[in-house]
Amino acid sequence: MSLIEYDAIVIGAGVAGLTAGTLLAEKGKKVAIVTAGEPTACLSTGCIDFCSNMDNPEEAIAALPAHHPFHLVTKTQIHEAFYDFKRRMAGAGLSYTGDTNRNRHVLSAIGTFKTTCLTPETMQASPQNEQENIHIITFSGLKDFYPGYIISRLKNASFSTYDAGISTTMGLASLFEDENFLETFLLWMEKQNIRENKIAFPAVLGLESASAVKKTIEHRLERPVFEIPTIPPSMPGRRLFNCLKDGFRRAGGVIYWDWQATGAEKSGRLIEAVITGSHGRPNSLNAKAFILAAGSFVGGGLRAGHSNIVENIFDLPVFTPGKREEWFEQDYFSVNHRIGRAGIIVDESFRPVEGPWDNLYACGAILAHVEALKNGCGHGFALATGRAAAESLLEAGR
Amino acid sequence: MIKTDVIIIGGGATGCGIARDLALRGIPHCLIEKGDYAAGATGACHGLLHSGGRYVISDPVSARECFDENMILRRIGEKCVENTGGLFVRLPGDSKIYRERFLRSCAEIGIPTEVISSSRALELVPSLNPEIEEAIRVPDCSIDPFRLCMLNMKTSELKGGLSFTRHRVIDILKSHGRCTGVKAIDTGTGEVKEIYGNIIVNATGAWADRIAQLAGGEVPLTLSKGSLVITNHRLTNMVINRLRPASDGDIIVPNEAVCLAGTTSLAVEDPDKIAILPVEVDTIIGEAGRMIPHFNHTRIIRAFSGVRPLLKSQKLDSRESSRGFQIIDHQNGMYSIVGGKLTTFRLMAEKMVDAIMNAFSLKKECETAQKPLDGQEELSGYPLSKRLADMKNIVCECELVTRQDVEKIIEQTQTRHVGDISHRTRLGMGPCQGGFCTFRALGIMHDLEILSPGQSVGSLRDFLQRRFRGIRHALWGDQLREEQLVEYIYLGILALGKRSEPH
Repeated sequence: MSLIEYDAIVIGAGVAGLTAGTLLAEKGKKVAIVTAGEPTACLSTGCIDFCSNMDNPEEAIAALPAHHPFHLVTKTQIHEAFYDFKRRMAGAGLSYTGDTNRNRHVLSAIGTFKTTCLTPETMQASPQNEQENIHIITFSGLKDFYPGYIISRLKNASFSTYDAGISTTMGLASLFEDENFLETFLLWMEKQNIRENKIAFPAVLGLESASAVKKTIEHRLERPVFEIPTIPPSMPGRRLFNCLKDGFRRAGGVIYWDWQATGAEKSGRLIEAVITGSHGRPNSLNAKAFILAAGSFVGGGLRAGHSNIVENIFDLPVFTPGKREEWFEQDYFSVNHRIGRAGIIVDESFRPVEGPWDNLYACGAILAHVEALKNGCGHGFALATGRAAAESLLEAGR
Repeated sequence: MIKTDVIIIGGGATGCGIARDLALRGIPHCLIEKGDYAAGATGACHGLLHSGGRYVISDPVSARECFDENMILRRIGEKCVENTGGLFVRLPGDSKIYRERFLRSCAEIGIPTEVISSSRALELVPSLNPEIEEAIRVPDCSIDPFRLCMLNMKTSELKGGLSFTRHRVIDILKSHGRCTGVKAIDTGTGEVKEIYGNIIVNATGAWADRIAQLAGGEVPLTLSKGSLVITNHRLTNMVINRLRPASDGDIIVPNEAVCLAGTTSLAVEDPDKIAILPVEVDTIIGEAGRMIPHFNHTRIIRAFSGVRPLLKSQKLDSRESSRGFQIIDHQNGMYSIVGGKLTTFRLMAEKMVDAIMNAFSLKKECETAQKPLDGQEELSGYPLSKRLADMKNIVCECELVTRQDVEKIIEQTQTRHVGDISHRTRLGMGPCQGGFCTFRALGIMHDLEILSPGQSVGSLRDFLQRRFRGIRHALWGDQLREEQLVEYIYLGILALGKRSEPH
């Protein structure tokens, strides 16, 4: 038993966990997040995919299968979750653009268009069709960005290469935080005699001050600038995470970083504490209620064995989509792989069904039947269910 | 039109070995391969350079051939053979009678053995099951079949031999009942080439009957599918065999940073339609796990199958079929060489070329057993650290392949296939199975203007689909986690799944 008892402990520092935690902290609750480390949000494009398989995400929700957990969230909760998110991000200096009733496109690093709902400021000017006239800046030796992919699809695109002497996106992002580098780079840019309407960059325009860097380049070159998300490690994903994390801390939340939850102390119908491995010895952290937002397989919330799927912290029953040989389709691109349905089934108050716990909630990618890739439910789903789970917890404590 | 003396169809170990032998004996030749070198059974085996122990009871002639060839190959091919040594381990319940027969037969044939205690075996290979009764040490080695084929072809290239990969033979040209050449189609461009020669060698393994039929002949074969799994780690530094009659999952071979375990044996009809069954994966892991328990917990990064072309025999179990090889003279200018195994490829090539020399009434002795393989001086050898020449430009972090390595292969081969780069550099053979580096390799092809606009995304799609065939049945634990991440990268971040795009 720990000396401190929190009102709520959230497991997982991804978009769902940070959204739930921040709302609780803003409502005056004493909240802690325990996390094994960086969330998968750091690997993401930073875009908020809500329901990207149709033009209108709100209508797309209505068309989802009956057991999809998106149906457990009300329209008001979605609107409030998105409103709060945009407000918080604008406050943190990284505005997001977009509406919940209209999807938009983001040019990908292979020249396809990714459909998403909200985009960070640095991708706001991303082209919406293949005809747009763009000039791409790339960096010699950069191993995760090849403009050739895009040039082959966008007929009105061209590129130039700058030698910054660095081959990683992370290294370039840190260079862009340096004013002297930026000035040298801008002088080079001005000499390029760019004629296209827009200028594209791989997503390396800084980590902390990306919006400002983008604006500086736009101002000097007198045309819109946008970023193209890259494969991990992804700067826009990391910026999103940093802003949400800082927002949670500002609201009074505490983060136990590098404390991997490994089990729970239980009593009757209540979870009393989570047990965490941390710096050499196990610790337990007590709270009145818990929110499980540990993600799916990549995040570490679920783990597949040879023939079963388990949730390791609370040992909750996991919906398992058939035998192992049925988890994946033959067609890699089908997005119908049944493994996408694995997860925790929750009731309308986001409590795991079949589990005996009164004070445990779950949200985000760990939920069953999400099928994130098929339905395009990414961070938007995490925002909505994170908020809904937190509201449910508040409701129960009233 | 291309004219040569000998046309070799098939770029597996046998075909490449024949090309080298012909080159050393000064015979003009042209090799045609429908995929890349080592694309068939050669590249889909354990990579075990047999000591002969495995066949010592069932097929003593093959066993002796294996031992002799093992000794030759470790001498001539030090950069593609790793002298690991091997153990035959006896588990509780395994027959003691088999052990006696094994030792006696090895002694008769001349394969050196050393019986060692379980504690000594555990000193040599700490990951072994501590319950083993004892082990018998044999001179097994690990061999890189891709590198082996490339090095054999290097000699052919140096002596002016021709070769066409990604060319499928669609017809055999005949005149007055004799084969005079082949028609081959470039699978990339669709261009058809006519190649004329005096002798055609059919070294197409599981596809031998089909090629023979194009010339009006036949090759009676039994096709047996063998599946294997690859682990994320090198769990043993020695080859581990089970001391019992050949059965499923009884061989584990270390190869560079990984281990290969297998095999299974199931009769198949069509070598182009083979699929791995989940039960095969489970069987191999279960059996390999009895020898090295960690197999049950380690990451399996891929499963794959190859088709053994075995000479037809009366016996039902294909493991009991003869592993010996045979040269069939179709009496029309075509020879088929079938059966055999990777370990004896050089001997097969020697016998084949002897027959060709005889047909041409030429006399020059085979030199392939004496001369070291050409091109080895450029190779790094085995320690991974030797590849770490340039930390800054690594494009495949799993196997430490640099951008320069990739550029070199692309410039040499003008290839548009990621697989060709993998076979020559090990790009994409590690835990992520090309998840990150394929995007990069194709990007580099773009930079070098090898890929024409629009080809890259198609290539990426094809690669991912083919890759998935191998990993689909080995997905659980951390490997499933890694796969979900790769899926997210390609279908989520890069939006490769969608076919329709805005205009």
